[in-house]
Amino acid sequence: MRALLLFLFYYLVVTPAGLLARLVRDPLSRRRNPDAATYWIPSEKS
Amino acid sequence: MSDLVLGISAFYHDSAAALVADGVPVAAAQEERFSRKRHDSSFPSQAVTYCLDEAGVSFDDISAVAYYEDPRLKFRRVMATFAGAAPTAFPFFRAALPSWLSADGKRHTDQTVRRELQALGRGRVPRVSVRRHHESHAASAFFPSPYESAAVLCVDGVGEWATTTLWHGRGTTLEAVAELRFPHSLGMLYSAFTYFCGFKVDSGEYKLMGLAPYGRPRYADLIRDTLIDVKPDGTFRLDMRFFEYLRGQTMTGRGFERLFGGPRRMPEGQLTEREFDLAASVQEVTEEVMLKLARTARERTGESKLCLAGGVALNCVANGKITDAGIFDEIWIQPAAGDAGGALGAAQAVAMERGASRDHLGTGRDAMSGSLLGPAYDDDEIAAYLTANGIPHRRLDDEELVKQVAAGLADGKIVGWFQGRMEFGPRALGARSILGDPRDPAMQSAMNLKIKFRESFRPFAPAVLAEDAKDYFDLRQESPYMLLVARVAAAQQLEAPESGVSGLDLLRVRRSTIPAVTHVDYSARVQTVDEHSNPRYHHLLGAFKARTGCPVLVNTSFNVRGEPIVRTPHDAYTCFMRTNIDMLALGGFLLDKSEQPAWTEKSDWREEIPLD
Repeated sequence: MRALLLFLFYYLVVTPAGLLARLVRDPLSRRRNPDAATYWIPSEKS
Repeated sequence: MSDLVLGISAFYHDSAAALVADGVPVAAAQEERFSRKRHDSSFPSQAVTYCLDEAGVSFDDISAVAYYEDPRLKFRRVMATFAGAAPTAFPFFRAALPSWLSADGKRHTDQTVRRELQALGRGRVPRVSVRRHHESHAASAFFPSPYESAAVLCVDGVGEWATTTLWHGRGTTLEAVAELRFPHSLGMLYSAFTYFCGFKVDSGEYKLMGLAPYGRPRYADLIRDTLIDVKPDGTFRLDMRFFEYLRGQTMTGRGFERLFGGPRRMPEGQLTEREFDLAASVQEVTEEVMLKLARTARERTGESKLCLAGGVALNCVANGKITDAGIFDEIWIQPAAGDAGGALGAAQAVAMERGASRDHLGTGRDAMSGSLLGPAYDDDEIAAYLTANGIPHRRLDDEELVKQVAAGLADGKIVGWFQGRMEFGPRALGARSILGDPRDPAMQSAMNLKIKFRESFRPFAPAVLAEDAKDYFDLRQESPYMLLVARVAAAQQLEAPESGVSGLDLLRVRRSTIPAVTHVDYSARVQTVDEHSNPRYHHLLGAFKARTGCPVLVNTSFNVRGEPIVRTPHDAYTCFMRTNIDMLALGGFLLDKSEQPAWTEKSDWREEIPLD
């Protein structure tokens, strides 16, 4: 039962959300950026 | 009474506990030394109990507990990874998600920590505060360092999101400057090659580094062209099409196989030239990235000192390149640079916020006490153990003990050296060490095969009197924690006939006056020993020098392959009897193998210790 729920959740929720996110932006910053001088992300000030 | 903060790292690998008093580390230990399970990731109950006992306190005396990473932030990263890797990561998703979602799951690790601590029955546990994984590393690198201000660089696999962070440490504050995030990780890149070469991730990285000098970096350009895009400032992105860790538990798959000519080496399989060359290549790229990051750290902070932590900071070859390049006047590396040290860093970060000061700065020394922060056994306890078990021994005064051990070493004997408080961090530094004569060309092979029962290619490290280090090694600064690799000094090098010799045959070439600790590229992972941090060890090196003229000893951790370093006199005696160690110095007692009764065990102990 749990395996089935996980299966449905993964393919009906996680997958479409992930694919959609990748259409609009690059959530894990996977693309290379040849023009950028740096890949640093400035730290959030706490 | 001092303001006490307890730090905990747990549930990934190398669980540990650390106690700081007014910001100063007073006790720290990894759980593996108690549970005898290497890299034990379970809750460090025994290490916590030890820390409380060492200070003679209960939780009622402790102001705060600090956990070394933020479980909720980590959960968000794991979820983002699932979404990012969809639709190919279902098996990983199915295996991992339930452990995050359940009521006592990993999202609420801080509550789990509090519950586990409460279960120890040692008083009322204070609030558990969480620090970010890289903040814990950065705090462990900077606050105990001897520097008033410094650039701080943390590089590891991953914690929550950050994989590489740059900080500016000043006084009792740490300012975050910039970071790189998962999945782009130098630690993961190195681990991927560790896995591909048939070693275990999170422990075999050390072997890969030791293997690198046997090879040629003929894959380095391929790595630069395909796997990693490095900017001039050292920041980078990996090409995730070649890595599997977004999708599951393995590191590499077909992409790597296509690039590097076939399937990965299986564990314990034959080592071939490909593995030597892969090791040399990824090591070269790692060094390049670390050097560039170090230059950037200097430019961005304007500091002349650098502090390092994170698993990649255990890459002592890369550390040596940073010091040799002269980018900084001096660098300091946290001896427990891996996740165990996160326990210490988290505690120190909280302690500094609570108003602790860094009083050690006036002394010019660091605040780590030589990293000798673990349990000690005094001579009364050792005597009780020896007598109760009928173990033949001789009790000697300090002078005589050191003299007899030095004489044994000079005669080619291998000595177990068990003294004082146990080391915190992965290296043995002369408290739980096996020692030998570095001048003996057969010593490296003998110690690998007959004592440690491990692969013959693995190098051994020298311990050297700090005052004589410059005569033997091209070392620009002290290296008290064996985290810098330096070249053996030209005066000690011998002309070696190397034409036509390659791979593991390089091992047989005698390259210096201290061949047992000279790696095939004339490098050595040096520990400089001063009188202050470990007087008896310093005394022994002095006695060995007086007898032989050589101020250097081979120093390796007191254990066999796959086993954690020994903690108690019993652990030490067992290891002594199971191996070909000739003498054992237990505190003020000397044991000779030839005087010991026959050792019998019901089963083959070697089958009970998993290979590392």
